[in-house]
Amino acid sequence: MEGLVKLSFYCFTAASVAMFAASLAYIFHAVGRVRVERQVLATSTGETVTSTHASFDRGSESAGRWATMLTAFAAVLSFFSVVARIGATKRGPYSNMYEFSLAFVFAILVMYLIFERKYATRQLGAIVLPIASGMAIYIWSLPNSLRESTELIPALQNNLMMTAHVSAAIFAYATFAVSFAAAVLYLVQDRKNLSWLPKKEMLDDIGYRAVTIGFPLLALVLILGSVWAHDAWGSYWSWDPKETAALVTWLIYGIYLHTRTLRGWRGSPSAIVLLIGFAAVIFTYYGNYFFGGLHAYGGV
Amino acid sequence: MDEQLAPAAKRAARERNAFDMVVDRVWRFFCSTRVAVAEIAWVALLVLIGTLRQSSVPHWIGDNIPGTKGIVIRWLDWDVFHSFIFMISLAVLSVGIFIGGMLNRMPGMWQTIRNPTIRTTRGFLNGVTPAATVAAGTTPDGVIEAITAALKKKRYRVFTEKVGDATHLYADKNSLGQLGTYPFHLAMIIILAGGIVTAQWGFRELQFIVPEGGRLDVGHGTGLSVELVQFVDTYAQTGVPEDYRSDIVILKDGEPVKSGSITVNHPLSYENATVYQSSFGQAVQVRVTDANGNVILEDALPMMYQSLLNPDAPAARIDLLPVNASLVIIGPDSNPFNQPELDTLNVRSGEMWVQVRSNDLPAGTMPPAAIVAQGHAVTLDGVTVEFIREKRFSLMQVAYNPGIPIFIFGGIMLVAGLAAVFYFPLRRIRGIIEPAPDGGATGLIAPLAKRDWSGQQDFEHLMEQLKAEPAFTIEPKIGKDAEANSATPETDVSNDEGTA
Ligand code: HEM
Repeated sequence: MEGLVKLSFYCFTAASVAMFAASLAYIFHAVGRVRVERQVLATSTGETVTSTHASFDRGSESAGRWATMLTAFAAVLSFFSVVARIGATKRGPYSNMYEFSLAFVFAILVMYLIFERKYATRQLGAIVLPIASGMAIYIWSLPNSLRESTELIPALQNNLMMTAHVSAAIFAYATFAVSFAAAVLYLVQDRKNLSWLPKKEMLDDIGYRAVTIGFPLLALVLILGSVWAHDAWGSYWSWDPKETAALVTWLIYGIYLHTRTLRGWRGSPSAIVLLIGFAAVIFTYYGNYFFGGLHAYGGV
Repeated sequence: MDEQLAPAAKRAARERNAFDMVVDRVWRFFCSTRVAVAEIAWVALLVLIGTLRQSSVPHWIGDNIPGTKGIVIRWLDWDVFHSFIFMISLAVLSVGIFIGGMLNRMPGMWQTIRNPTIRTTRGFLNGVTPAATVAAGTTPDGVIEAITAALKKKRYRVFTEKVGDATHLYADKNSLGQLGTYPFHLAMIIILAGGIVTAQWGFRELQFIVPEGGRLDVGHGTGLSVELVQFVDTYAQTGVPEDYRSDIVILKDGEPVKSGSITVNHPLSYENATVYQSSFGQAVQVRVTDANGNVILEDALPMMYQSLLNPDAPAARIDLLPVNASLVIIGPDSNPFNQPELDTLNVRSGEMWVQVRSNDLPAGTMPPAAIVAQGHAVTLDGVTVEFIREKRFSLMQVAYNPGIPIFIFGGIMLVAGLAAVFYFPLRRIRGIIEPAPDGGATGLIAPLAKRDWSGQQDFEHLMEQLKAEPAFTIEPKIGKDAEANSATPETDVSNDEGTA
């Protein structure tokens, strides 16, 4: 491995460690403290009765602050990792699943931190950071050969278009991860209404605002991808499985944007549409494993 | 006469009524957002079925879930994206987008932009949280003036109307942003139209194969043909092609009109046709003569097939009609390390395995075959095949895509429209200011932001900022919990929250 490729890998290693630690800290922060109280009561007849009851408390604030710090740390490290990789390959991070996933991890962390700051709430991290950590584990599981910087087949050599296409994709998927987390917490709150978790109304808003970023970005992904395909193959839409999978994902979020305005579909049902949408994102992301087709040549 | 006309007129009226009713029903069908959800979900489902068809999923289902084999086979056979059902679904969706997503919302939206309802009711304002109370020592007019000035600074438009001695106030921001829904919803129709234009007036040759030195007609009434002068490729050490290009000449009615190089991503256009580099391969230049010495074939044959005799070697096949036979040529194994046991032909570099298959040959008989070196000939079954030399062919695509400008135009409209709707959200405020019993002014203002957390948040920020205004005091209304906002029954005033 050459220097920059190595540097990129070391940054990613450090970022992984920070993400795992941040996941634990966020979970610790979000789950809250459970206190079990036992009381021994003496009745007037002289018998004693024990009663236990559990009470839940706000999670540790310092765990939350640690989690944010670790996430910011991981974001910076993954940024360096992507930049070093770009320096080594002299192109955007799109030649294989290793590079693409590195960039995806970075995008998740950044989008998450933006939402955490904007809404001044940390509990979403208990879902988003484990997703980012899962991505990191996936990256670790990839064959070593993908870590080397490799030659690209000519179809992928259109730098600008590919870079724009792929950047839009990772940020779209990253915001969908945030809206997924908001939807999960919404469903929890809808049933449990826990005092130390964010209010339902705010979670609904986070889910929606994330989609208002992800939905246009995914539209851009589809359009840029098509224009690029036109330059390379003379056809802007060839019903390629990866294209169509992204289209299905886009349509599902389109459904969400309508259901959210419908009486009887607001709240939980729309949150469930968000869960389905994110399932479609995952399916699109790992589509290479199911399909042959034009997108299959990026290694793996 | 009158008696005769009356029933006819009645019947006509009844028919018109029925007709109106049907039109009304259809219109309302297409306007329903619920129906829109169903339509989008249906199209998404069809796309998913078509997508999965190209994946390993159907095979997995067929193998693992008993009794699904039949369905899976029909699934694999169904070309969803070119099916009638899919076309109809897209057409219905387009009509829905046009009527429900666009036309039907126009009047309401136009009203909020041009002529918003200013009057409200105390009952409505009392039921809304968050809200804020206003109090001032001056007259109501003075307060209205000050609030108007403060809101205008925040880019709000402000409208007022006197009702008795109270003044009703309506203020909004980004009222034009919602218009983005028109370019957005329309863009989807435009993009589909682009697809139709391409399918109707465009053409696309996927397998436009020309050997070096060869020439091929484009067809489709273009009068064009493409000649491949030479093919050049370079490889990285790893064996991955680094780049390859075809030097071509485009001819119109046989006359050269344009020449140049094409690589992947860098096509060459002339008039309507664009020539794209796609792939390449090996070709073999042969001359075939029959028993009488007549040349029946002299051409470069692209070796783009695989033969069962050695799947790792390039193969060519062509019919030799004059002698009622076919010619098969197989080259050397191109990947000797992959399953060497498959390489039974032992063709070495610079050689070709040649076979002439007569159509009259009884089944089960092995047709005659031989290995020929470059520059040599062999006679099989009376047919002489001369292997002149190896060549390359270029696999190109030739396409005319009249839909692409429409598509790009639609794409820009789509993203820009979405950005307008999402990033310039409509913010609205209502209020009533009236004289206070003690001589000053008092009032209540509240946002129209039911179930819109961001909108409520924005309102609270705005109130925080207005607190600094010296002309009046503004206080968040307390005493109601946040749930009140969503618990308010929808009054006639809050109805214009939804534009539909
Ligand atoms: C049957 C066709 C359709 C109808 C009748 C329809 C109708 C509507 C209506 C009434 C709204 C406003 C909702 C509100 O704010 O109250 C809306 C919004 C929206 N629709 Fe559609 N729609 C259709 C198709 C689609 C499709 C296919 C998509 C893309 C997947 C889409 C994406 C959106 C988006 C993103 C919004 C929110 C932004 C906006 O207000 O423009 N729609 N649609």
